[in-house]
Amino acid sequence: MAERTKKRAKSKGAARAVGQTPVSVAGSAANKQRTGFVPQIETEIAGVRCQNPVWTASGTFGYGKEFAHLVDLNQLGAIVVKGISPEPMEGNPSPRIYETESGMLNAIGLQNVGAKRFLTEKLPFLRTLRARCIVNVFAYSTEDYVRCIEILNEGEGIAAYELNISCPNTRCGGMVYGSDAKLTEEVVAAAKKAARFPLIVKLSPNVTDITVFARAAEAAGADALSLVNTFVGMAIDVETQTPRLSNVTGGLSGPAIKPVAVRMVYQAARAVKIPIVGIGGIATAEDALEFLIAGARAVQVGTANFYAPETSLRIVEGIREYCRRKQVHLSDLVGSLKIPQASAS
Amino acid sequence: MYDEIVAVTENRPLTGGHFLLSLDSPRQAQATRPGQFAMVRVLGRSDVLLRRPMSIYDVKARDSGSRRGHASKPPRIMQFLYKVVGRGTRLMAELKPGDRVGLLAPLGHGFYEEEYMPHAQAADEVLHVAGGIGIAALLLPAKQLAKAGIRQKLFFGGRTKADLVGLDEFKPVVSQIKLATENGSRGHRGYVTQPLQDYLKHHPNKKFLVLACGPWAMLYATVELARKYGHPCLVSMENRMGCGLGVCLGCCIRVDGQGHEAYQRVCTEGPVFWAEKIVWEEETIAKT
Repeated sequence: MAERTKKRAKSKGAARAVGQTPVSVAGSAANKQRTGFVPQIETEIAGVRCQNPVWTASGTFGYGKEFAHLVDLNQLGAIVVKGISPEPMEGNPSPRIYETESGMLNAIGLQNVGAKRFLTEKLPFLRTLRARCIVNVFAYSTEDYVRCIEILNEGEGIAAYELNISCPNTRCGGMVYGSDAKLTEEVVAAAKKAARFPLIVKLSPNVTDITVFARAAEAAGADALSLVNTFVGMAIDVETQTPRLSNVTGGLSGPAIKPVAVRMVYQAARAVKIPIVGIGGIATAEDALEFLIAGARAVQVGTANFYAPETSLRIVEGIREYCRRKQVHLSDLVGSLKIPQASAS
Repeated sequence: MYDEIVAVTENRPLTGGHFLLSLDSPRQAQATRPGQFAMVRVLGRSDVLLRRPMSIYDVKARDSGSRRGHASKPPRIMQFLYKVVGRGTRLMAELKPGDRVGLLAPLGHGFYEEEYMPHAQAADEVLHVAGGIGIAALLLPAKQLAKAGIRQKLFFGGRTKADLVGLDEFKPVVSQIKLATENGSRGHRGYVTQPLQDYLKHHPNKKFLVLACGPWAMLYATVELARKYGHPCLVSMENRMGCGLGVCLGCCIRVDGQGHEAYQRVCTEGPVFWAEKIVWEEETIAKT
């Protein structure tokens, strides 16, 4: 696969060089700079080919159409839609969000239209895009995860499922799937068996050792992993002495969580063979590159979509520019972290 | 809705920690309808992330200057009346002419003529009820109603007289302004709903359309009064917002619906709702 990719990139480069205005670059770098080097930034995760490694994260991009007039959706690698449950869900009472330092807390309560309405109302538009459509799925019992997937299996144009396992298993005492290795294995195995499309498992970071869960999901049949989901956090209004969120706790996202997310991606990438999608506070191309170098084959932009919708596309360009400057392809970059001999691991 | 980077033309301090911010944005100004809002972002920071929702107070052809000869020019200046209440507004207060900000506008479902006009025309008067910075949402609808020749009154309450900002622009469009301050420094001493109730009680045979904007507790009291006296009422709600364009579902409020329609977005289905649509949750009113 790599050979074919490299050959294609070369011929692309050659084709572009012909008739292309030579790039003039000062200094000795000019000698190294091959005119018309076109970095290959296509990627493939669990059989899903994407034109670039930048995806939008579940819960931050709606069902895509909402951003259509602000962002050229056809330039995205993939869109991961808002989490879908078997039945529609109403969500939590207000307040559902609260901004924190370099981040925000959310306890939306997974409000969504439900699997059937997603297929009839939201999927048709998503099908028309070059960006791949990945459907985030959640439920509160293993049977319901399977039921949701079985309904969604009818959908044409879904490239993959992303399994949100950060939900409590309400049938078994409310233990969160993604915080229990056995439950993780159970739900991933059941989902994989039922799934018509490739299965990406989105890991919860609210665990002691992310590698345990990465391995559990891989062993149970996950085709890829995406990490991280939000960290459980809370904020308090000191005047009223009450929680800022009606749900008391919520999920923390944004730039504040990036260092922890990068560390987890790095650890997970070394623990499993299946590909990894990196998520957590990505707002710039540099942020995305950290995840790629740590071992992710693609990244998701989340919170940044709320205040700077053009972020994803800027990151695509930034990655391309970096690769052009370094004269590398994306595949050279993934997991390319260099650790000097003397450093601790 | 457009997402633009626009220039500050003025950021005028008023009384009580309030400011009047003027931004130069022709395309967004011309697309603005009464009751819509904008999401404002102070650029270049990653510690204060989210945009801040601001009612679009006014749109003008020229920046706070003479109105002579500019009535026919298309608007290009957007004005926002705001109070410094937290990190975001504190940053906004530091803006100077020439600074650039991110502006996502116009947003939301406002006070739309085609929805309220039958009620406005059937009414003897339209009553505007404003609590604090809620005044900012009511000027554009008041101007639109004035153009249609509708008779209007404004009831405006705040904590102190320093909070009674943005009044001058209302004077040419409403026939009477009744003020209230909690500390009695101007107008009626107490809440704005008191003079409102007196007025409704003293005119039991008149028909009114009520437009209201302010803190949730004040809106709730206003809605209850309108319901008690049998008058249609439109409220402009507010809530903390994540995106302002309908995807994060962070600003949802409880409405009269079931399942996934139990909550609607203040940024998209709102901010303006017919009063009976809203289900007022006691805990949240008590908190705000």
